[in-house]
Amino acid sequence: MSARWTPIALWAALLLFPIAVSTTDSAAFYQDVGANLILAAIAASAWNIVGGYAGQVSVGHAIFFGAGAYVPLVIYNLWPALPPLVGLPLGVVVAVLIAAGIGVPSFRLQGHYFSMATIAVAELVRLVVSNWDLLGAAIGIQGPATPRGWWDLIFRSSVPYYYIFLGVLALTLAITSGMERSRFGYYLRAIRAGERAARRLGVPVRRTQLKALMLSAAHTATAGSLYAFKLGFVNPESGLGILVSVQMIIVAALGGAGTLYGPLIGALILIPLQSATNTWFGGGGSGLTFILYGGIIVILARFEPGGLLELWRRLSARVARAA
Amino acid sequence: MILLQVLVGGLLLGAVYALFASGLTLIWGMMNFINFAHGEFVMLGMYVALVMTWIHAGPAAFGPAATVALFLLGVLVYLGLIKHVMRGPMLSQILSTFGLALLLRYSAFAYFKSDFRTLPDSWLTGTLGVGGIYIGKAQLLAGAIAGLLALGMHLLLTRSALGSRLLAVAEDRSAAMLMGIRPDRMQALAWGLSAASAGIAGALLATVYPFSPEVGQTFALTAFVVVALGGFGSVPGAMIAGIAIGLIEQAAAYSLGPIYKDVVVYGLFVAILWVRPQGLLGKL
Amino acid sequence: MLLETQDVSKAFGGFVALAEASLAVEAGEIVGLIGPNGAGKSTFFNCIAGDLAPSGGRIRFDGVDVTEEPPEARALRGIGRTFQVPATFEDMSILENVMVGAFLRHSQARDARTKAVEVLRLTGLEAQARQPARTLGTPGRKRLEIARVLATEPKLLLLDEALAGLTPAEIQSAIALVRKIHALGITIVIVEHIMEVILTLTARVLVFNQGRTIAQGRPQEVVSDPKVIEAYLGHQHGARGRRRR
Repeated sequence: MSARWTPIALWAALLLFPIAVSTTDSAAFYQDVGANLILAAIAASAWNIVGGYAGQVSVGHAIFFGAGAYVPLVIYNLWPALPPLVGLPLGVVVAVLIAAGIGVPSFRLQGHYFSMATIAVAELVRLVVSNWDLLGAAIGIQGPATPRGWWDLIFRSSVPYYYIFLGVLALTLAITSGMERSRFGYYLRAIRAGERAARRLGVPVRRTQLKALMLSAAHTATAGSLYAFKLGFVNPESGLGILVSVQMIIVAALGGAGTLYGPLIGALILIPLQSATNTWFGGGGSGLTFILYGGIIVILARFEPGGLLELWRRLSARVARAA
Repeated sequence: MILLQVLVGGLLLGAVYALFASGLTLIWGMMNFINFAHGEFVMLGMYVALVMTWIHAGPAAFGPAATVALFLLGVLVYLGLIKHVMRGPMLSQILSTFGLALLLRYSAFAYFKSDFRTLPDSWLTGTLGVGGIYIGKAQLLAGAIAGLLALGMHLLLTRSALGSRLLAVAEDRSAAMLMGIRPDRMQALAWGLSAASAGIAGALLATVYPFSPEVGQTFALTAFVVVALGGFGSVPGAMIAGIAIGLIEQAAAYSLGPIYKDVVVYGLFVAILWVRPQGLLGKL
Repeated sequence: MLLETQDVSKAFGGFVALAEASLAVEAGEIVGLIGPNGAGKSTFFNCIAGDLAPSGGRIRFDGVDVTEEPPEARALRGIGRTFQVPATFEDMSILENVMVGAFLRHSQARDARTKAVEVLRLTGLEAQARQPARTLGTPGRKRLEIARVLATEPKLLLLDEALAGLTPAEIQSAIALVRKIHALGITIVIVEHIMEVILTLTARVLVFNQGRTIAQGRPQEVVSDPKVIEAYLGHQHGARGRRRR
């Protein structure tokens, strides 16, 4: 199969998926999983910008996701006449400001220390939000119960969500692809490949990393907002919890961090898998899901850090040589 | 009097923090590596104590059992996982112990369930009244033992031949190799020691506090704060910082309530990271 | 005066690696720095390039005091340097490696690519443009290191033992490359141990020993200067040299 046709086939399949499953018995369920899958791909692709391309492994990205999820719902709670949708750009702005705020002091820290810092900041924010009544404290906040118009983005079927998310994913990947081929993209790769050498060539390291974080934050917040619109609800655990951050990373890493389609591939495998284990094992399912997650991450880290795309590349090279 | 109570409580808890944080900072100093599963090692130590009670072993067995079990686990984790990811990209290094943490935590949930447990009564149960304040016997013993062990670790590292070999690898790997020291072996040993310090701290904590698999995450963050405050790679720093955090935590819990105590500790954490990342005694 | 250093010194704790290094380089010159190992040549380079902050002294480039500026800023001003151990971006292609350098002066990918191809042609790497950098052997890496820096369009090029470890044939082609670069109008300061290179390429040589400059002049004169000979011999015979950091 020619490499050029694969993305086209992929997008075609994604476009047709909800329609294709609509005749099956569990159509609604599949479509819901599909929507969640696309959303996870958006979030992971957003993380990928700073964690994959820039090589700064942020484990606190939930902070941006949470900003995107909370701000629209808070706006709605304060001014119920407004649709939560107007909160989306505001959530993005908040996330970008947070990114600017934490990026500057954090990028001084190296490697593991940076990651630890991101966890700390995210956890702190989660704790503060958990105790802040305006934001719903530990209970969380809700959006409109019934739709007053299409702009409230409340649909009974998952299909509209699916297509909205797909559109946002396409946009995110288009932006990332453009970035890959630009000076910014080259500079990010250079920083990841060798910071000192990059500096010598005039690469403004800190400024570039900061830009990457801010761009990543903006996309992550968008994913968070979409989540809030679909679910109509967010609480500190679902919006700012560490598992939110971890899922973004695993999804991106499984497919291949630092590649364009890696996060989507990761989502295509992990989200259905997660749904499957949740349904098979019933109540205890989510615990086993995480055992599975943990196992996958460890195996990935140990044997194939480049993710499935890297594995595919190596295998197809071997097949090509054998032929 | 209450203040003294809080002080003593903080000191004792701080000693335990100092113990398991020393293990974390040892690895960090040696290999520039943060073990994100360290909290789970502490948690496992707690459950080793529980399992000991199932086979009717007395509290005196908890410590040694946890030490041995976690030491072995630490060495295995190094040989099977860490050694290999060290040569790889940053992402896989961080993912490796993260994945391990998830694996350990949720396996514990699956096997032991999520209920909080306490250990059955033993000769450790009960309180002592000393000069107007009341301290649990277990609490006192746990703190004292932890303090001694932390000190012992420091002495081991600085005064023994083995310790100097470990520190040599931390200081300069290639130079250490030239002196005939095998970095691989030393690193495996360090992981064993680190895990053991966490395990025994867990066993000690289990005699005082109720526990469940979820506490691993809290201890991990505590360990991070202590290590950040004490300084990169500095065991004496971790000891001082451990006591400090123990005191701050108890004081905050007393004056602001248990909810805000966490906010204070993490707020302090973020402040350290940004204002003085090298901590009190470390060098960045 | 393109580059002017005044009494630049660098101490690491108690160890003085460099003391009162003064050098003046006119635009268009090729100057050589020689001296035994540990004499302070690389330390001096690091100070000029911005990788090390000097403990004392000032560095002026193109009339501007750049002593406080970080490497990125100096690259922008036109100071480029190579490292003894080339630090190529392994997983990127050779072309992409050079493009990173080219992006300094050309913000559009199209223009950066054109510039990079031009530089690859100059350095003889054009045929391997699409290969990953890690497939290169040592001489190729050294060339790539030079190519990358050339793409930043420097006015001053600092070559740090760029010819070490090359075969005689490779050295000849490297010398030819340096001449080509010089012909483009780039000022060059070169640290080298291989005397043949110094004698053929440079018009002026500065000799370092134990952190200080002990002689300066035309290569033929310097090489027969008794102080210089003693520095090299003394270093071979007497005490073991200080460990290089």
